[in-house]
Amino acid sequence: MPTTVRAAFAATLLSAGLLSGAAAIAPQAQATTPRDALVMAWNLDALITFDPAQIAEVNGNDIIRNVCEPLVNYDLTDVSKILPNTAASWSVSDDGLIITLKLRPDLQFPSGKKATAYDAEWSMHRVIHLGFGNSANFTQWGFSRDNAAETIKATDDTTLVVTLAKPYPIGLILSAMFASGSTGIMDKEEGLKNARVTDGKSDFGNAFFKTAPICVGAYRVTRWNTNEVVILERNENYWGEKAKLRRVIIRHVPESGAQRLLLEKGDIDVARLLNTDDLRALAKNPAIHVETTVMHGYAYLAFNGGDPILGKPLVREAFRYLIDYEGLGKTILEYQGNPRASLVPEGAFGALDIKEGQPFKLDLAKARALITEAGFPDGFTKKYIVSANNIAPIVAQHIQANAAKIGIKLELEQMADANLFTRARSRDFEVLQIGWGAGYPDADSMISRHAVNPDNRPEARLAQYPSWRSSWQDEKVNEMAEDARMERDPAKRIAMYHEIQRYMMKNGPMAYIYQTVRPIAVRKEVKGFAMTPFNVVYRTAGK
Amino acid sequence: MSASSPSFRAWLTAEVTTSPRHASIQRFYYGWLRLRANPLALIGLLILLGLILVAILAPVIAPVGPNDQDLNRRLLPPSAAHWFGTDELGRDVFARVVYGSRITLYISFLVAIIAAPIGLAVGTTAGYFGGWTDTVLMRINDVFLSFPGLILALGFVAALGPGIENAVIAIALTAWPPIARLARAETLTVRSSDYIAAVRIQGASPARIILRHIVPMCVPSVVVRITLNMAGIILTAAGLGFLGLGAQPPLPEWGAMLSTGRQNMLGAWWLAAIPGLAILLTSLAFNLFGDGLRDVLDPRSE
Amino acid sequence: MAGTETTARPAAGESPAAGMRWLKLAGRQVASVAVTLLGLLALTFFMGRMLPIDPVIAIIGEQAEKETYDMVFAQLGLDQPLYVQFWRFIRDMMTGQFGDALFTGNKVADDLRRVFPATIELATVSIIIGVGLGVPFGMLAAVYRGSLLDHVARFIGLLGYSSPNFWLGLMGLILFYATLGWVSGPGRLDVMFIDMVEPVTGMLLIDSLLAGEPEVFWDAFSHIVLPASILGYSSMAYISRMTRSFMLEQLSQEYITAARVKGMSRWRVVWRHAFRNILVQLVTVIALAYAFLLEGAVLTETVFAWPGFGRYLTSGLLAGDMNAVLACVLIIGIIFVGLNLLSDLLYRTLDPRTR
Repeated sequence: MPTTVRAAFAATLLSAGLLSGAAAIAPQAQATTPRDALVMAWNLDALITFDPAQIAEVNGNDIIRNVCEPLVNYDLTDVSKILPNTAASWSVSDDGLIITLKLRPDLQFPSGKKATAYDAEWSMHRVIHLGFGNSANFTQWGFSRDNAAETIKATDDTTLVVTLAKPYPIGLILSAMFASGSTGIMDKEEGLKNARVTDGKSDFGNAFFKTAPICVGAYRVTRWNTNEVVILERNENYWGEKAKLRRVIIRHVPESGAQRLLLEKGDIDVARLLNTDDLRALAKNPAIHVETTVMHGYAYLAFNGGDPILGKPLVREAFRYLIDYEGLGKTILEYQGNPRASLVPEGAFGALDIKEGQPFKLDLAKARALITEAGFPDGFTKKYIVSANNIAPIVAQHIQANAAKIGIKLELEQMADANLFTRARSRDFEVLQIGWGAGYPDADSMISRHAVNPDNRPEARLAQYPSWRSSWQDEKVNEMAEDARMERDPAKRIAMYHEIQRYMMKNGPMAYIYQTVRPIAVRKEVKGFAMTPFNVVYRTAGK
Repeated sequence: MSASSPSFRAWLTAEVTTSPRHASIQRFYYGWLRLRANPLALIGLLILLGLILVAILAPVIAPVGPNDQDLNRRLLPPSAAHWFGTDELGRDVFARVVYGSRITLYISFLVAIIAAPIGLAVGTTAGYFGGWTDTVLMRINDVFLSFPGLILALGFVAALGPGIENAVIAIALTAWPPIARLARAETLTVRSSDYIAAVRIQGASPARIILRHIVPMCVPSVVVRITLNMAGIILTAAGLGFLGLGAQPPLPEWGAMLSTGRQNMLGAWWLAAIPGLAILLTSLAFNLFGDGLRDVLDPRSE
Repeated sequence: MAGTETTARPAAGESPAAGMRWLKLAGRQVASVAVTLLGLLALTFFMGRMLPIDPVIAIIGEQAEKETYDMVFAQLGLDQPLYVQFWRFIRDMMTGQFGDALFTGNKVADDLRRVFPATIELATVSIIIGVGLGVPFGMLAAVYRGSLLDHVARFIGLLGYSSPNFWLGLMGLILFYATLGWVSGPGRLDVMFIDMVEPVTGMLLIDSLLAGEPEVFWDAFSHIVLPASILGYSSMAYISRMTRSFMLEQLSQEYITAARVKGMSRWRVVWRHAFRNILVQLVTVIALAYAFLLEGAVLTETVFAWPGFGRYLTSGLLAGDMNAVLACVLIIGIIFVGLNLLSDLLYRTLDPRTR
């Protein structure tokens, strides 16, 4: 070849070589995380705001409880026990209607400003007035925009007086309302100063607090790059034991495989989103500790009660026998869920124990007998919609395959979560596989939404009640649930809830598949990262 | 055809043809000879034929069904028992890839028979009538052409909803514009020729002229174009499947298999590698064959 | 692939009249583009109307009462006749009011401003690779037509056309990241270096050098090299094919034979004459290749978790976010049309035959 051609050739090869060589010798990022920061990897796709009144997803809830701490908090070892937090003590009047909370006198915002009961009162009022999903934490107990000013009142800097509409058991109210993320104490002055008013209605600082709330908490939000990173810094004016690590850095890494690699290399301390196979591999790694927390959430099948076939109780019962609970539990659900058929999660007050809570097993013969009895010996065809995320489609294909064996043809359609929720809320489904997280660790939480249906008419649009979504209403259950809710004797309450669960397992409009389990992998150097079903505590984490 | 032809070969290579049918068969034969001389094109054709064969004989070739789950044999690497390993539900990957060929062919075939007629209709009409018809039709054409294929298909599937039929419609909507453009160009060159004028004088209606005289002239280049574009169509379909917008589970569509392969990227490389290779091979085959076809049918274009 | 429209060019060598004619033709071209844009808007609007998600529910949430629903329904103008809605749509799109992205909580316009630089950086590095490899390959293939080099180059190009680039990305990650550890994994930059560099151009590679932070530069480099190589490979396939084709056309001209007969060496002829003559066509091809990179980026960015425009589109798609998806689709369409127009105008201006 003539010299010029050889030269051209050489030049090309050289540049290609340089490219790969440079990449190879480029200094890799340091293999250890900073000593004063906790670095977590997570999927931050769903995070859209840090305003506690508006947060409705897992990441936000997790983070906000460390930034805007609730008045009382769940005991880290037993979520049915409630401990004082920013509220130091409380007392109940004899008729059970008035709760008086005494706040700690040493509460401060990160700026050093004193936080008072007036801030607390305003923070709760705004949740009710803004009317997002979290307002249900209050409205379900009878609080509303009209009565909030009177029923939630600060009488001095440290006293908060809450008046209930009915004498609910104090344990229930503490767990369901005061321990929720909606009682974080926000800076009223800053909120009012930066509130936007449109058409005469104030947004209570919703837009201002979206990127960083100003609250009483162990950490504050200092940076949020959408879908990239969230950085929290220690609040030096925290009333309690100051956080051990100065910063918490939460990186957006939507791939389980990528998180695993980062963790193995030491680029992150905690991996929050891992699939089963990556977890299995990490469990074998001596430098890494894998732990699981059983959450109070479910993946379940919902059937449209208005459908002529799926409306029949026998058909719904048949589906319970199409799920190979045992097989799933040992394989696909490892690290992801515990099989459970009862609608009250294990660990909640009033739940059936593990054995009684899951009495079904894969039994095609029995399922076939049930649908034959219902009048469909040859099966039928239905549409089955499911989320495209995580293991949902895998579980769905499992059920689809089992159903096919007895003649039930389920046509799967995967979709984005947003679509799925739209369809569920508008009753636009036949068979639906979806998830749900209980709001508080009491049987009332699930039952009040999945079993109770106050109004089954389509016009009622009770889309926040999965029972309504499935067009299912049972007056007997409504009554049982109300009685159990108001029962002040704990032992009697538990017994009543057990009865409801047994009834729902046989007749209910859902087939619960598993209770969600949250796995995380942590590097061994990190100690004190505390995880409970309702609370993840960052401030106790240290290296 | 003369009943007393000396031999088949002599008949095929005869200097003077005895009927239009004889002429077209002869053209086909010479075209085939030219194709055969092109090794790459031949390879492409063989791969495609192989694909069709695999699709037809899928139940025979595959050791088990593509949807037979076995929760105890999940994510096994390739072995004698499972040539391509198993997936996240314990299904045999080899079986799924084999049955997946049916879906690929189904999509390609449907897109072709939807896009080609639409493109031909629009292009020949625009070219023949000219004037406002031409302007309007070509404007619409340009609008569709101004979106990259994948983006337009994504937009349509987002609107129509996921599913294999919607994916086919969405892709077909992106595939017809180049055909229309080509048909129009061909029509323009042919429209002013003498024999078209002759037919018109004889009183043939525009529809008849277009259908019987113009369209057949466009067919060869349209066939070439569709074959060449088929590679891109398959890649678009795989892209849609990868995003979960194409064939729904449990259908073993190759693009959808790549998506679960990605989630198991580190632990189970075969789930990602093998369906991708299948897509690559099919796309490559269409490209090779299309190139060869173009050389045969349309040697003046490059 | 979209071809360029060929319309008649003015005869060479008639100066002032030619200038006027160029203007007129350019003007007509721009007007035609405007009509195409209108069609783009109509198509996007139509797609938006077909979406299965209720935009009202998406804003107010599922718990709202009927009065709130009706109020927002009217606010969104959904009770107006279709042509009024379309007019409002055009007005909003043209003024950049794309609405709010439901899955990020920000305005779509803000999101786009944030994600675009990342894609521009990726596309630019990719096109550099594509041109740097594609042009030499194409030229070599043309000059040594029929040789082994020609066949190899064409085959490599063919593989580039035929591979699903998101699959190549996956394979690349498995090999070069997970197994060999030569490059960094998905993402644009390690968290260590976030905010260490002032965003001047929006391109990390340049900004880090400007800020004098070599560590950041290397980290950004090791993150971009794999996705850019994958995308660059597909552009290389296209560019080398077109280069070869243009060169072949030139080399078959008489002036080439004449120059060779006069004794000029082969490569001198190629560089001095043939290459100069194809430069104009090459530039237009490169403009088109850049536009196609946007399409290729959509899935590649998803695989590499690259925080750019393509990933924004797929995230919006998977979240069912109508505002984000439509805005992205429209913008890509506009960019495509714009680049086509640009390459057409460039061709008309620079082509010596039109002077």
